[in-house]
Amino acid sequence: MTEPVHHVIIGSGSAGFGAARTLRENDADCRITMFTMDAIPFYQRYELPQIFRGRSDWRDLLAVPPSFYEDHRIDLRRRCRVADVDGANRKISLSHQETVAYDRLLVCAGGRGYLPENLTGYGELIHGFGSFEAAMQTYRDLPEGGRVVMIGGDMVGIDLALTLLDTGYGVTLITNSQTFWPHELGAEERAPLLDVLRARGVTVLEDARAVRVEARNGGAPARCVTLDDGAQVQGDVVMAFCGLASSVEFMLRAAVDIERGLLVNPQLRTTNETIWAAGDVCQIWHDSEKAYKFYHGWKNVRVMGELAARNMQGANEVFDVDVEESIGIGEDGEIVSTFWTRGN
Amino acid sequence: MNKRVEPVYLEDKLQEIRADGHLKYRSKSLPTWCPGCGYFSMADGLTVALNRLGLDNRNVVTVSGIGCASRFPFFVNTYGFHTLHGRVLPVATGIKIGNDALTVIAVGGDGDAFAIGGGHIPHAARRNVDMTYLVFDNGIYGLTKGQTSPTSALGFKTSSTPYENGDAPLNPMMMLLSYGASWVGQAYAGKPHHLTDMITAAIAHKGFSFLRILSPCVTFDKTDNTYKNLSMMVRDLPDGHDGTDMMAAMALAMQDGHPALGVFFQAERPTLAEVMQTSIDRAQQASAT
Amino acid sequence: MNKSGTDIQFAICGSAGDGTIASGDIVKRAAAAVGFHVIAFDVYPPEIRGFGKCISRIRVSAEQAYSLKEKTDVFISLNDSHAIPHVGEVRDFGAVIYDDRSIAPIREGAHITAHIRPAQIPYGLPIRQISEQATNAARSRNIVVLGYMAGLLKLPSRPFREVIAAKFATKPQAVIDANIRAFDAGLEAGRKVFRLDDVDVGTVPDHGGSEAVMMTGNGAIVRGFLEAGIQSYFGYPITPATSIMERLAVEMPKQGGKFLQTEDEISAIAATIGAGFAGSRAATATSGPGLALMTEMLGLGVMAEVPSVVVVSQRGGPSTGLPTKTEQSDLNLAVFGGSGDAQRIVIAPTNVEGCYRCAGMAFEIAETYQTPVIVLIDLYLSNRYETVFPSHENTFAPKPRKVPELAEGEPYKRFAFTESHISPRALPGDAGMVHTVTGLEHNELGRPGDGDHMRMNAKRHEKLISATRYPGLTVAKRFGDAGKVDVGILGWGSTFGEILEAMFEAQDAGISCSAMKAVMLSPLPVDELRAFFDDCRTVLVPELNYEGQFANLVSGALGRPVVRLNRTVATPMPVADILAEVKRLAAEADSPERIPATAGVGS
Ligand SMILES: Cc1ncc(C[n+]2csc(CCOP(=O)(O)OP(=O)(O)O)c2C)c(N)n1
Ligand code: SF4
Ligand SMILES: [Mg+2]
Repeated sequence: MTEPVHHVIIGSGSAGFGAARTLRENDADCRITMFTMDAIPFYQRYELPQIFRGRSDWRDLLAVPPSFYEDHRIDLRRRCRVADVDGANRKISLSHQETVAYDRLLVCAGGRGYLPENLTGYGELIHGFGSFEAAMQTYRDLPEGGRVVMIGGDMVGIDLALTLLDTGYGVTLITNSQTFWPHELGAEERAPLLDVLRARGVTVLEDARAVRVEARNGGAPARCVTLDDGAQVQGDVVMAFCGLASSVEFMLRAAVDIERGLLVNPQLRTTNETIWAAGDVCQIWHDSEKAYKFYHGWKNVRVMGELAARNMQGANEVFDVDVEESIGIGEDGEIVSTFWTRGN
Repeated sequence: MNKRVEPVYLEDKLQEIRADGHLKYRSKSLPTWCPGCGYFSMADGLTVALNRLGLDNRNVVTVSGIGCASRFPFFVNTYGFHTLHGRVLPVATGIKIGNDALTVIAVGGDGDAFAIGGGHIPHAARRNVDMTYLVFDNGIYGLTKGQTSPTSALGFKTSSTPYENGDAPLNPMMMLLSYGASWVGQAYAGKPHHLTDMITAAIAHKGFSFLRILSPCVTFDKTDNTYKNLSMMVRDLPDGHDGTDMMAAMALAMQDGHPALGVFFQAERPTLAEVMQTSIDRAQQASAT
Repeated sequence: MNKSGTDIQFAICGSAGDGTIASGDIVKRAAAAVGFHVIAFDVYPPEIRGFGKCISRIRVSAEQAYSLKEKTDVFISLNDSHAIPHVGEVRDFGAVIYDDRSIAPIREGAHITAHIRPAQIPYGLPIRQISEQATNAARSRNIVVLGYMAGLLKLPSRPFREVIAAKFATKPQAVIDANIRAFDAGLEAGRKVFRLDDVDVGTVPDHGGSEAVMMTGNGAIVRGFLEAGIQSYFGYPITPATSIMERLAVEMPKQGGKFLQTEDEISAIAATIGAGFAGSRAATATSGPGLALMTEMLGLGVMAEVPSVVVVSQRGGPSTGLPTKTEQSDLNLAVFGGSGDAQRIVIAPTNVEGCYRCAGMAFEIAETYQTPVIVLIDLYLSNRYETVFPSHENTFAPKPRKVPELAEGEPYKRFAFTESHISPRALPGDAGMVHTVTGLEHNELGRPGDGDHMRMNAKRHEKLISATRYPGLTVAKRFGDAGKVDVGILGWGSTFGEILEAMFEAQDAGISCSAMKAVMLSPLPVDELRAFFDDCRTVLVPELNYEGQFANLVSGALGRPVVRLNRTVATPMPVADILAEVKRLAAEADSPERIPATAGVGS
């Protein structure tokens, strides 16, 4: 009897989940193990703003019930941090010193919220939105009708901002180069979009840079952001939405090429024969542009995960961008973006 | 050794018996022992001893196991507990702990003591339970009609050893000495006056006293422990025997072929009740502070 | 328990060296101090030394629970290799707390995260590291996790600190301080964590000022004995009864009692009966193998009509069996063991409070009926903790003895035939009533003889009948739906907790169902049992033995059929098993062609 092939997936987001499901669909016998830092099984991060609409039980956000994993024999290992990948010997080490051998590895560890360098010292005072727990903490700390000071305003942030406005909160947006990330927009493309936000009630501060965040002891509102011109903006909660930085630090010894993300060919394989990557963590070779490119957006990410899985099982499919990213203003005067699940 | 036998006149004897008052310790039940059984002299010995010691019969408990010997409690007018085969000592221990004011006399045969009950003797002895244990050793199972016992001699033919007993007999005196009994003595049913003295001394001793009483089973042993044989075998204690000398006592005990009659060993040490009182005092002191 | 409010089961699993049981102990005491009801059961390794597996399970609730839950709400691993086989018991959306670091490389699958199911919530923290930082030693890991748990669940921290301080009270102050630091460090870590589980701590119940006492079944036996003024105890160590003797060894001398470790169980019961004969309140405690040795003596106690109290805590058998696992397979031995027609009194409490009451009353019952009284429990009940609210006045203390009165010249008859079949009993020391008792059949005077055997047998049996009406003693009790029901669950001993839980769940599922516990197993409370059978279309008897010893006893006595549910799984009866059987029987009850269980049997 031969041992079943062991597929290990790092990351349990859209890409990882889609990959695991695909692997199982195509092979009833293989072993599938997923490692994630999360405590919660896969849920759509794009749904997190729903918390402000009262969906505060994480179980309501799950893409599939927990039993799905057991039914499909997917070992979902949560709260596990991969410390190191030994690409030559096909082993991963976890931070609790456990070693796990794999036959094929798929990395879809996604990215972490990026924080502008000058603000990294204020991390403790800035609320996050990268996980359910962080989002809930924000929800709990934000008093009714309170105000969020948002730095950057990538598409996740804009989505949240619109939800906050719908649900009776105030938003002050301090824009920067990451505003509307991952859409790369010129000033003239931005202006109408910012106008839409203003029309919806967002206080937009352009041409300003946040340089300091302070907690105001006992007083309300609880936070004060100082801008580079010395002006101060007050809010109950400060959040940064400045795009994602790929989580690749554990891949440094994996014998794969890394630039900002893991570099993969159009088949989503890295420079290591047994390691694939998908989602926000990887840069895909774009033959016509002769460049490695990130593809964000939930649909792209899911497609990547599924495609990588098929290729891990012997297919030789090439990633073809499912959705060219675009942003604009719809007929109803609202912002529309391919990045969002809104409207889908 | 050659003592002159004095004639005994029945009338005188009866008067003497009535006057001395020990009959009040006799129960109304007639002993069910075979005529001539050595056990009669023990019943007599005990009643005289109780009388001598002036003990009130309501404060005396006679406890026994099962066997001919163990029928004893029915024939003395004290409180009595006729228990189970081999279990006289633990029951007696419980009675003594249950009411320390009682004088407890445990009685049993050699099978009851050294076979089925053999496991209890060391513990009653080492704990120095303040009671008297009278073992009526006839070297046979009387009640069950003549099987071998742990003290039967080698070569003894019984209903359970038809081809002769090949199991070496126990030496009860050595056992009890090594178990730490604080009073160890031996008597013989054929010497009733000495027996009575010994029972008296055994009861008077504070602590666990063990008295082995050699006694013939006239019905089932016609060859070994007969009056005739026993009378020839037994010896007086050697002159000047030091009852506090364990080595001397052991040496004496080793000569089982010629059993010596008397107190082999005697020592003074805390009784179980005293030890328990110490625990009680310590516990009460500890909880008072 | 089909009540609302707090109902959390904690489980702490580690090795013997991890302080697992100590940790559980703190949880139960802290919870009781707060005012919660507690029921708890620890599982020890069979080997005494070394690093065997220990699990402490504690159910904390607003209302007294009757058993542990099958599913744990909060699980703590102090040792993953021990905890891994048990983590499955955590319910969906319950919490699993574990060390997320390791001091040495471990092989694949050896970390608990490999076994936490997707619906369970993992809470990892660097337990060892926190302990070392707080106390310079890893020893306090078991305290760190408590702090973490308290922080996580927002439990009040003061009772924990107080219990920890009390627990280490005999140690140097530095040890107390270190443990408090360990607790606080864990607490801080726990408070920071975002909770994803749905464990509901609820509010603390109000007991109107009365103080909960945390006791094991064995502890309750001891307390009952002490309140009853136990004077003599004789015992021989045997799991799971040993802690009774160990506790009494400490406590009895304080009140002048006499305690002796005997050379075996035969001596233990012999001395108990001896002391009973002398008028002392005497008891012993043992388990099945010891009871087997005692049966001859119990017969003597019956025959000689001497009071004695014997606690029997059952474990798995036969023979040496499963010394550290619970079972209910000594009922036959307790009720029937020994030679001859030796009817005795057997009472089997179903919870810790019952242990306290039964032990407290056992002496008086034994003295009243002049016979052995067996208090039959099992390892599960011996070792499980429950909160008890003891009564303030002592009702168990001995009442003044009545010395028999004799007319002038009348002989004292120790075994006199009377209307109640109970003969006035004199004790050694009483004047004018000197007598001898014996294991031989005897006449009224106690003299050996066969002539009265039939009458004496009748006396020894008949005198016990009124014990089923003993004032203040629950001999049988019905719970759940009144009147006619589809399914009745009849049980005894520790299993009754699981039976009640199952009954509540069945009721929730709309099944007409009630439960009865039989506390007196000998003589059987036949009137209560018969009334119960009359009301139930089917009677289910779940018990932890292979054959159905109680089922045999009851169906034999009543001439009624029962449905048996027997498990010998070395653990308490799974509630789910009882529930499944109840549901099956209820479904059968609905089907028209079903013949009622009692059909054709006269009552
Ligand atoms: C448990 C048990 N086993 C066996 C017996 C039967 N039995 C009664 S007396 C006895 C032996 C008696 O011998 P011993 O103790 O020497 O007393 P003796 O009759 O010689 O005085 C036996 C075996 C019993 N009553 N109980
Ligand atoms: S059988 Fe032997 S020991 Fe028993 S009474 Fe008769 S003579 Fe004595
Ligand atoms: Mg004999």
